[in-house]
Amino acid sequence: MTTTTMREIEFRDAVREAMCEEMRRDKRVYLLGEEVAQYNGAYKVSKGMLDEFGPRRVIDTPISECGFAGMAIGSAMMGLRPIVEFMSWSFSLVAADPILNNAPKMLYMSGGQFGCPIVFRGNNGAGGQLGSTHSWAVEGLFSNVPGMKMVIPSNPYDAKGLLKTAIRDEDPVFFLESERLLSMKGEVPEEEYLIPFGQARVARAGTDCTLVSFGRPVNLCLEAAESLEKEGISCEILDMRTIRPLDAGAIVRSVKRTGACVVVDQSWSFGSPGSEVAALVHRECFDDLDNYVHRVHTADVPAPYAYDLEQEYLPNARRICEAVRSCLYRA
Amino acid sequence: MPVQLTMPRLSDTMEAGTIVRWNVKEGDSVASGDVVADIETDKATMEMPVYDDGVISRIMVEAGKQVPVGTPIAIITLEGDAAVDGAAPVTKSAPAATIASTTQMPTQTQTSTPAASVAPTAASVAHATSSAASASADSNRQRVSPLARKIADELGVSIVSLRGSGPGGRVVKHDVLAEAQRMKSGGARATEMVHVACATAVAAGGASSEIMLSSMRQTIARRLVESKSTIPHYQVSMRFNMDPLLELRTMLNVQLAPQGVKLSVNDFIVRACALSMAAHPFFNASWGGDRIIMHGDVNIGVAISLPQERGGGLVVAVLREAQRKGLREISAETKALAEKARVRGLAAEDMAGATFTISNLGMFGVDNFTAIINPPNSAILACGAAVEQPVVRNHQLVVGHEMQATLSLDHRVIDGAMASEYLQSVKHNIENPATLLV
Repeated sequence: MTTTTMREIEFRDAVREAMCEEMRRDKRVYLLGEEVAQYNGAYKVSKGMLDEFGPRRVIDTPISECGFAGMAIGSAMMGLRPIVEFMSWSFSLVAADPILNNAPKMLYMSGGQFGCPIVFRGNNGAGGQLGSTHSWAVEGLFSNVPGMKMVIPSNPYDAKGLLKTAIRDEDPVFFLESERLLSMKGEVPEEEYLIPFGQARVARAGTDCTLVSFGRPVNLCLEAAESLEKEGISCEILDMRTIRPLDAGAIVRSVKRTGACVVVDQSWSFGSPGSEVAALVHRECFDDLDNYVHRVHTADVPAPYAYDLEQEYLPNARRICEAVRSCLYRA
Repeated sequence: MPVQLTMPRLSDTMEAGTIVRWNVKEGDSVASGDVVADIETDKATMEMPVYDDGVISRIMVEAGKQVPVGTPIAIITLEGDAAVDGAAPVTKSAPAATIASTTQMPTQTQTSTPAASVAPTAASVAHATSSAASASADSNRQRVSPLARKIADELGVSIVSLRGSGPGGRVVKHDVLAEAQRMKSGGARATEMVHVACATAVAAGGASSEIMLSSMRQTIARRLVESKSTIPHYQVSMRFNMDPLLELRTMLNVQLAPQGVKLSVNDFIVRACALSMAAHPFFNASWGGDRIIMHGDVNIGVAISLPQERGGGLVVAVLREAQRKGLREISAETKALAEKARVRGLAAEDMAGATFTISNLGMFGVDNFTAIINPPNSAILACGAAVEQPVVRNHQLVVGHEMQATLSLDHRVIDGAMASEYLQSVKHNIENPATLLV
């Protein structure tokens, strides 16, 4: 076994390292999107990539998501492995037809003749006072579609390992980053590693209540668990890492031990990964539940612009604590 | 927009109420503040005022029927409203009903077809019908969380008689574990045995009949079973020489007669018990599971039996801050409460917050008896009559008055020696009644 050398890097560096390593490894992989090349990325994720890989593999596009996403899907069907960067997933909505109606269905509709090995990635969820139309959390809306995979990392280590797996995957992968996490630092090994899809991570072990989350809210769960521990409540936090596929086994095993489950999901509650998890737990853990599955989501309104309103609109540590106490009849 | 009246929540523990009487009929005009109905809760019969001026256009629940809190019971049409069929009423109940219930949300007008004769919103109809339909079946149905059921099976805990701490009385994991712990330690069961106790069938000859329980009878049954089955009761008795007190009382009543004051023996006993609390604070305390709660004020509950025409039963009226009150005030307040209880019925606040209770059957010629503690009190004093009898005073056999008083105590809070000391103190006050005057 080789020893690993750890260093601290930012989330954006982890994403870039994953893309660069895969582009060095496989000539078919290329990056396209708005300002990814000459400007080094709107959020500096692709910094230096134009210099290393040249303008044929790091491509600046016009402000035309529907056009460049559709073009990339075509290239994927013909054998390339594109990475499409959306500056924000909010902007992907104008490309709904290619990314939802074409890419995930292509393998099925072509009777297996054309696959679509493509990665769509970009910032998802509220970036902070960006208003209703630029603050989309698309996991609820998009994960409804069969044929795709959805990845939502919560930290730099997972971001790198999961993105490398995404680029090598044969299916379209929706990779949801967060503007609020891009500067987050975390330990990432120098050596290459991959993280398989469909394997949740126990972000914190505990005995009283299972918190199921993914992406940025995992960090809010960790914060909530700290303060709940002072009240004598021990939380187990599962970071799902991928929504499709979903590690149902990990959720069921944990809830059977704790007897209580709270889902924390930054998308709207109606028809969301959170409601899917709740249905799963009620079906698989019915006899093990001491209370119904409690859910913490963003409020069922368009994202507000005002700072204070937005903080209350999003899942936060206080609301998570309240849900856990209520679930344990300690409210 | 018409206003819908719903069964108000008139006490913390109220889940359903019985309309004892409607003071209005359909078509009557009402003004804000009018008392439209008398509602019997689990504790008392209370008046229900309205807060709108209008016409009672519909009475939906007839007198004598019990319905869950929040159930629509009547509709008031306001001036300018179309006929009641035309619009969705705004649901209202007494301001005490602050619970958030879907039926109490102001609702928006809906287009109603002629078939929708009473037009509450879909939500309130659904709520009303489901609660009405479930009232008989669901209010008695035991709710158990799946996990609680599973753990109970594993540990061999019977949940049939368990009362749950979760919402709506749901038995949850904590309740089963606590019960398992009690079974293991052989302690008192915090369970309700009513179901078990009433399961016995007797086949007696002759004509039998059944009397349905009033809310008060149900409450008495539930609370006393809970008290007797969870509190480790024991009793301590003492005899008091009543001659000095009776003599003083006769004198005072003669002198106070022009002022209309007539002190009862019980007034002296209330005062004696309250004064003795200062040195014996554990008699003014409650068991709190993992602690003992020491109360500040001495609120003495006085058991009052109700006449048959008010449905019988008994209530406990509460004299607040009894430690600060003199005989005259105790007497006046007790009389007022007893009068109110027998004539109009006590309000919930007249019966809340007792910290110690006295039950006196002396006026019925009872020598002595034991009482069941009134939770969350830790003690209750049962007094018999001051009986004229041969007694020994100063080594001489003479005729005198003696009264037997019996304390029932919660042994978790009060030990035998403490009980004896408290009774000694009360005895000293009673036998030296001048101490009660100042």
